[in-house]
Amino acid sequence: MQQSPPKFSISDLNLWYGTSQALKDITVDIEERSVTALIGPSGCGKSTFLRTLNRLNDLISSVRVEGSVLYEGADIYAPDTDVIDLRKRVGMVFQKPNPFPMSLYDNIAYGPRVHGIRDKATLDDIVERSLVQAALFDEVKDRLQTSALGLSGGQQQRLCIARVLAVEPDVVLMDEPTSALDPISTAKIENLLEELKKQYTIVIVTHNMQQAGRVSDKTAYFFLGELVEYAGTKELFFNPRDKRTENYISGRFG
Amino acid sequence: MRKATTSRPGSRHRAAMRRQGIAFGMIRGFSFMTIALLGLILGFILWKGFRYSNIDRSTLLPHAEASPDGLVLAVHGDQDMPGIDWEELYGMYTDEYINWSKLDQSDFDLVPVAVDPLTEDGARVEAFLFGSEAEGGFPLWGGLVEYAGSAEAALKVVAERQGAVTIVPAAAAKAFPGIKTVPVRRLAIAMNQDATEFVDESYLEDLTAQNIRDLLGGRITNWKKLGGPDLSVVPMAPPMGSALAAEAGRAGLTYPRPTVPQPATDMASYLADIAGTSGAVGVAYAGDATLAGIPLAWMTRVKTGWNLTLRYLLEPPRLSGKTGGISSIIANTFFMLLLTLAFAAPLGVAAAVYLVEYARQGKLLKLLRLGTETLAGIPSIIFGLFGFLFFVNILHFGFGLLSGSLTLTLMILPTIIRTSEEAMKSVPRSLREGSLALGATKLQTIFRVVIPASSPGILTGLILAIGRAVGETAALLFTMGSDYNMARGLFSSARGLSAHVYLLFAEGISFDKAFSTATVLVVVVLLFNFAAKRVIGRMHRQAAA
Repeated sequence: MQQSPPKFSISDLNLWYGTSQALKDITVDIEERSVTALIGPSGCGKSTFLRTLNRLNDLISSVRVEGSVLYEGADIYAPDTDVIDLRKRVGMVFQKPNPFPMSLYDNIAYGPRVHGIRDKATLDDIVERSLVQAALFDEVKDRLQTSALGLSGGQQQRLCIARVLAVEPDVVLMDEPTSALDPISTAKIENLLEELKKQYTIVIVTHNMQQAGRVSDKTAYFFLGELVEYAGTKELFFNPRDKRTENYISGRFG
Repeated sequence: MRKATTSRPGSRHRAAMRRQGIAFGMIRGFSFMTIALLGLILGFILWKGFRYSNIDRSTLLPHAEASPDGLVLAVHGDQDMPGIDWEELYGMYTDEYINWSKLDQSDFDLVPVAVDPLTEDGARVEAFLFGSEAEGGFPLWGGLVEYAGSAEAALKVVAERQGAVTIVPAAAAKAFPGIKTVPVRRLAIAMNQDATEFVDESYLEDLTAQNIRDLLGGRITNWKKLGGPDLSVVPMAPPMGSALAAEAGRAGLTYPRPTVPQPATDMASYLADIAGTSGAVGVAYAGDATLAGIPLAWMTRVKTGWNLTLRYLLEPPRLSGKTGGISSIIANTFFMLLLTLAFAAPLGVAAAVYLVEYARQGKLLKLLRLGTETLAGIPSIIFGLFGFLFFVNILHFGFGLLSGSLTLTLMILPTIIRTSEEAMKSVPRSLREGSLALGATKLQTIFRVVIPASSPGILTGLILAIGRAVGETAALLFTMGSDYNMARGLFSSARGLSAHVYLLFAEGISFDKAFSTATVLVVVVLLFNFAAKRVIGRMHRQAAA
């Protein structure tokens, strides 16, 4: 592990939906060019936490955030933050594949286009590069102009990954990206993560502890809005320091 | 009770099956009935629109003589006229008509041409047209009539000038280039005055073809049978060997042996016999009988023909739509719809975007929704009143396309807003999040993802709204006016298809034209629906494929 400053540095993060508190005093650093897995039982706040990193929680009007989330040293909740720029650099892949109802090409070109790239040749390059990176190019190169909704679930999810990569992000957030997929598609995406972490910082929420074990470098265990334990994946799985973590990973609840 | 005693294993099951069968049958019956009803309505309107079938009331028999008295009526070769009534022919030469619009619905000036009455041919024509008037020396030639030196000269005028008409000897017109001859209906049933008396407030009925055969054939012996007075029918035969007898024969009339002691041998005494014999009835030329003051029997017959023709679609209306076509009205309808859409579509979609994407969910929004829903249910006439006061009077737009379209816009906006809103609401949140997470702004997300994804729904709403707009009548009469000419600008009064149907019907201008216009209206609506289905279908296919 290289000793570079953390990508995200979160301290004392509290988040409320209306009156109910969803995140309690989260303090954590997320390292560059690594895969960080967030695990925990349903409703423990891991997806909410993920969404604070690209301010997607802003869409919900009742959300209130306290504490600081530093991205490359700058607080993303500061009033002068350019949210558009933040989301461009912190991409996100969702639980269910959500391709837009348009062609594969247009799906991938969507991001670059909204950021002002019009040149056809440049867009062609970006589309091809992104599809190659997402290990989808060979499967779909002959049907780029057909609707993205015609792809299989696994292909759709890799398309969504390609779509995120097309805007050349720095961080990729993944919210249970394989929960709606079959094992073969899941394996493909896990292999992809291995490749992607060489270039990107990845934060992945997962319910699947084997997956967390396979793909992540560090793992954070959330429980009832609290960050219970955060450590290297092997350490957390084989030598949990907290009783609650141990109970969870040994399958006593969750 | 019975069930308990006679029940065998499975009988309850069978009863349940039977009940289900009955329910199924009823459901199927009702659905078939609905479809049948729809077919009936559409079929009836289309049938009435394409074919007219009218009860025509006339004093003339349907028989048309190609060359009455050896003369022919000649018109320009392009004139479309299958036959002409005696009254019309007579009217042409006595200034009753100044153009063809009432005669064959074309737009030409009427130019009646006559051969100089001082020539031999001309004198024949004068006698043919004016009969005993001519003999008495007072032929009432109209002031419009142009005189030609000879039959050939008259025909030359007719061949060169559409709208001109002349009467010449049949021999002269034979094979003359550029003209067409029109057969003339002039046979009528003349009755003795006594048969037309009112008896107990009842009057002689209109006769059918069968009635006439029975009257002349002696099978109806008393006028009472036809609603007339208690008077014996005395059928008269036209003079033997006369032109009238020959023409009547060609018209299919037959007579029994003479029922009067001394049948007339010339036309004058024949007419005098009818006038002088109580209860007499006989065939006669309409002109002669009218001149002699002998009443003619009214006859009814069913007249059928093409109602909706290509010409009807391509010609502008004339005489309040009584004649001519509806080309300008179709054009006005499309102008109106385009203008309405141009206002309503962006406004409606923008409002829906606001309601779905921006408005804070709360009391105000609820009130707004209630408002749109209420507006959608308000009768269109109220919008018409509002449009009249606001656009026409207060804003001084006057009666015209602009006022009408703005009124329609207000009328259909609630529908468009509601349907667009529903369509946008059904776009999954994940798509919006996907777009926002890629760094798109909210506006970009709305324009590039939300609106395209909900466009089938939005389009459906627009089509529904257009359907309502194209069918709107009353509100438009208050705001768009009712000029049936092609609109010349935004402030030009114009009439749409449905207003035209309404006015044709309400002002009693033409029932047939009302139906043919209604057919066009139905077809326009069907086309819109069809086009919408195609567009939406293609979108779904594109999205799914």
